Amino acid sequence: MAMMAPLLKYGVFGDEASLVVAFLIGIGFGFFLERAGFGSARKLVSQFYLNDLAVFKVMFTAIVTAMLGVTYLGWLGWLDLSLVYLVPTYLMPQVVGGLILGVGFVVGGYCPGTSVAATATGRVDGLIYVLGIFAGMFAFAELYPLLKGFYLSGSGEAMTLPGTFGLPYGVVVFAVVLMAVGGFYGAGLLEKKFAAAGE
Amino acid sequence: MPGWISRLTLNQKLAGAALLLGAAALFASPYPGSKVTLDAKELSLIVASEADHVEAPELAAWIIEGRGDYRLVDLRTPAEFDRYHIPTAQNIPMSVLTDAGLGRQETLVLYSEGGIHSAQAWMLLRAQGYTAVYMLKGGLDEWNDQVVFPVIADNPTPEQRARDERLRSIAVFFGGQPRSAAATAGAAAASVAAPAAMPAAPKVVAPPSASGAAKPAAKKKKEGC
Repeated sequence: MAMMAPLLKYGVFGDEASLVVAFLIGIGFGFFLERAGFGSARKLVSQFYLNDLAVFKVMFTAIVTAMLGVTYLGWLGWLDLSLVYLVPTYLMPQVVGGLILGVGFVVGGYCPGTSVAATATGRVDGLIYVLGIFAGMFAFAELYPLLKGFYLSGSGEAMTLPGTFGLPYGVVVFAVVLMAVGGFYGAGLLEKKFAAAGE
Repeated sequence: MPGWISRLTLNQKLAGAALLLGAAALFASPYPGSKVTLDAKELSLIVASEADHVEAPELAAWIIEGRGDYRLVDLRTPAEFDRYHIPTAQNIPMSVLTDAGLGRQETLVLYSEGGIHSAQAWMLLRAQGYTAVYMLKGGLDEWNDQVVFPVIADNPTPEQRARDERLRSIAVFFGGQPRSAAATAGAAAASVAAPAAMPAAPKVVAPPSASGAAKPAAKKKKEGC
């Protein structure tokens, strides 16, 4: 049989080797974050001033690229999509968690991945942000008994857009691509409009 | 290349490519349909090589070790499940098996009273593309005979004694006790009577993955960004 993905699920490498793979992917992720300028809090927060939406564009591009890749690899039969792990959905807790992360992003100027990349290049604000992440994790772990009820509220099933809206998979793919291209066009307009205001 | 394409910026070309691929994706479902092909040759080889099942003592060892990388599925009715089940097992009656949302990547160990239902469920799941399905050989019957109420020798040789001690400690762990060979030799009824005297399921802490989501806890997912 031809090599099938997910490689780990098909036993191409084992759990131990997967840590090496994860390490290499993580290094690559950090490298490209830094190369995109995302090791700098100034670059990151400028998206909230709407004068540089590079973060939005890069992240949405990554989503579209991965989505198209997964779709076509699945269609070709090289990737068994049913074996790909889906994060369980706890809708309300995840909405609240996303908002908290967003507030932290605006206040601290980083998100978790970029703060590590910033720390690796010796930025002190990145280092402080990472320490803040660990403080938050510690506080969360200590408060877990109190938070557990809310943290696990919801079905815990993995929700997907095609499943939730009852749409064919391809329709969702196309809609997301349209959203992305429309978003990039809109982002370009916003950048032009707010470039002067940001000076 | 027509002039208008070469006048586009790289970003515009890439956006155009994404749009084309996105539009084509309308006709390219990545999921296989509900019809499945059953590789009879492959399945028969698996069955012949006995790679389709787990033996009762092996499963007992997994439970004692607290392994969390598989899901133990009890295929019997909820009433039967309530009366007795193997510790850490999860009740998914045969009738709702295919709607239970089991992950195709999960390692599943199926058991039923004897071996028939689990063998049927095994075939059903394999046909639907579940790749890591195993059944408990001999079902609960063999579980009782070999793990909960194992037969030990009456006048053990030194080698047998060590083996019997191990069997005894495993049996006690699961709330049972060994039977002597003499007592069982005459009365085949002993194993029939055993379920009536089934021990209360011991408190074995289920590995987190056994009850929770579709994934061993060891494999945490990291969000992007």
